[in-house]
Amino acid sequence: MTFNAGLRKTLYVIVLLLIAAVFLTPYIFSIFAAFKPLAEIQADRAWQPPSHFTWDNFVTIFTQYHFLNYLGNTAAVTIILTIGQVLFSLLAAYAFARIQFPGREAIFWGYLAMLMVPNVVTMIPLYMMMSAAGLTNTYWALFLPYVFGTPYTVFLMRQYLQTIPGEIIEAARLDGLGETGILRRVVLPLARPVILTATIIAVIFGWNNFLWPLIATDSNDLQVLSVGIANFNSNFAQQWNLVLAGSLVALIPMVILFAIFQKHIVNSVNLSGASR
Amino acid sequence: MTGVAQDLPVKARPAPAKKAKNHVPAAERKRHLAAYGLLAPSLFGVLVFLLIPVIFVFVLSFMKWNMLNAPAFVGFSNYIDAFRYEGAWHALVVTFWYFLLNIPAQTVLALGMAMLMNRKGRFTAVIRVLCVLPYLAMPVAMGVVWQWIFAPQTGVVNTLLHLIGITGPNWLNSPEWAMPVVAFANIWQYVGYNMLFFLAGLAAIPPTVYEASAIDGATAWKRFWHITLPLLRPSMLFVVVTGAIGSFQVFDTVYVMTNGGPGNATTVMNMLIYNNGFVGFRFGTASALSVILFLVILVVTLVQFRYFQKRAVYEMV
Repeated sequence: MTFNAGLRKTLYVIVLLLIAAVFLTPYIFSIFAAFKPLAEIQADRAWQPPSHFTWDNFVTIFTQYHFLNYLGNTAAVTIILTIGQVLFSLLAAYAFARIQFPGREAIFWGYLAMLMVPNVVTMIPLYMMMSAAGLTNTYWALFLPYVFGTPYTVFLMRQYLQTIPGEIIEAARLDGLGETGILRRVVLPLARPVILTATIIAVIFGWNNFLWPLIATDSNDLQVLSVGIANFNSNFAQQWNLVLAGSLVALIPMVILFAIFQKHIVNSVNLSGASR
Repeated sequence: MTGVAQDLPVKARPAPAKKAKNHVPAAERKRHLAAYGLLAPSLFGVLVFLLIPVIFVFVLSFMKWNMLNAPAFVGFSNYIDAFRYEGAWHALVVTFWYFLLNIPAQTVLALGMAMLMNRKGRFTAVIRVLCVLPYLAMPVAMGVVWQWIFAPQTGVVNTLLHLIGITGPNWLNSPEWAMPVVAFANIWQYVGYNMLFFLAGLAAIPPTVYEASAIDGATAWKRFWHITLPLLRPSMLFVVVTGAIGSFQVFDTVYVMTNGGPGNATTVMNMLIYNNGFVGFRFGTASALSVILFLVILVVTLVQFRYFQKRAVYEMV
């Protein structure tokens, strides 16, 4: 290796480490702060690790405020929403991709048109409908609009299911398997990558969703983490120790999810990009 | 189950003549029914929670309705009010400013990072993955973190600046800086995610293209400008269009970091819709604003499609 090539390589490593630092430091700083007493956050240099780690801030937000509720609600809503979205989207996608039925093209084009609708456009009517049905401020309100799946997930899965060779499904049909049998025994095992992708998309959406839960709920018993954190932040402004501990409660589970599924998450981006 | 009808003796089959007339064999009809059954939950969701609300929002935008009084048809007055009294024009400008701060920088950075990290090796792979981590972060929680990092006195940025003798601005409390900081938060969150689309695009370019140009003696810069960039158009379209759609709808980070302030310096369209609908209970005006935003997003998306489609064939279905 020449001197020049060595220099280039060192430079490359340094640049990449700097880039990684940009994405990691906000996490690290907030972890430091969440384990410090408020006085230390205000007095010391913000980027320094705590002089001694204390769990006090977490104990406070879980025992004196409602973070246990928020966490439970967020987890419950995310799980229900994810199961519903993945299941119902897979069923619909299978019908679109693999069964010839009257009206298929028209309905599918309807779905594609719905892809263009920005989320916010439906918020006001959705609130009025839910309110008229007496469902605002219930658990139902939190997941009902999303549990039946989104056109996007259906579209993504349909694109994937179309790549399954037709002979496999025809053979299963000739063997006397019904549509549900084909779905369970043939499609399900083959569609695992796209099911995982849809699951990841749904979990990220369900966990982080904010505008609709903000509109649809206003009691601490029903609120999810995103809304709880936003309210907490405006009520306890400048109490950075508590506010940052609260944010970490929302951020850390996603970091763990990422650590476990990072390969799938990166692959799923490719999958969702390829089918657009 | 499907076999039963066929196993019956011919005589026992119910009304074969009728079926022949419809030209739909029993097995096929059964399959149609199965398809509708499979589709039913999803279709119900799309109809009730998407199509009906979309129609409803257009209707509402021509009504005065605060959910206490009976609704009344008011023509275009919600639209006129939105511009005359509610600052719709200002919010559109602010939203567009956010988009301009956000998307060009994000696209260039994502492309640059992809070019830098488009090589094999364990180290590069690890860094690539770390760049994507923020994609999963809850925007509300990150908003809180950024609020602290950019806090005027005790925040990380200003204490660091203080070390080198600079007095940092008030960031989120300053009309000039608030929006760039919010845009920065968004770029930080999604640039790694967008990098992945460019990496996928780069991986799809056949190496033979570069080999040919190397024989022709093209420089690295020329190769990038004349080969890589044009071939990356599909990725570029995806990144820019989804980024634009997202940035016209920004809400979470703005709500947490500035709540539209200082003054109305960061009151983007979504903030204005929220304030009209759920703070002011002017659902008609909020609906009119939603329709305006919908149309703006539609126009911007179509313009981008046209612009990028000049050279690349973009396949949607």
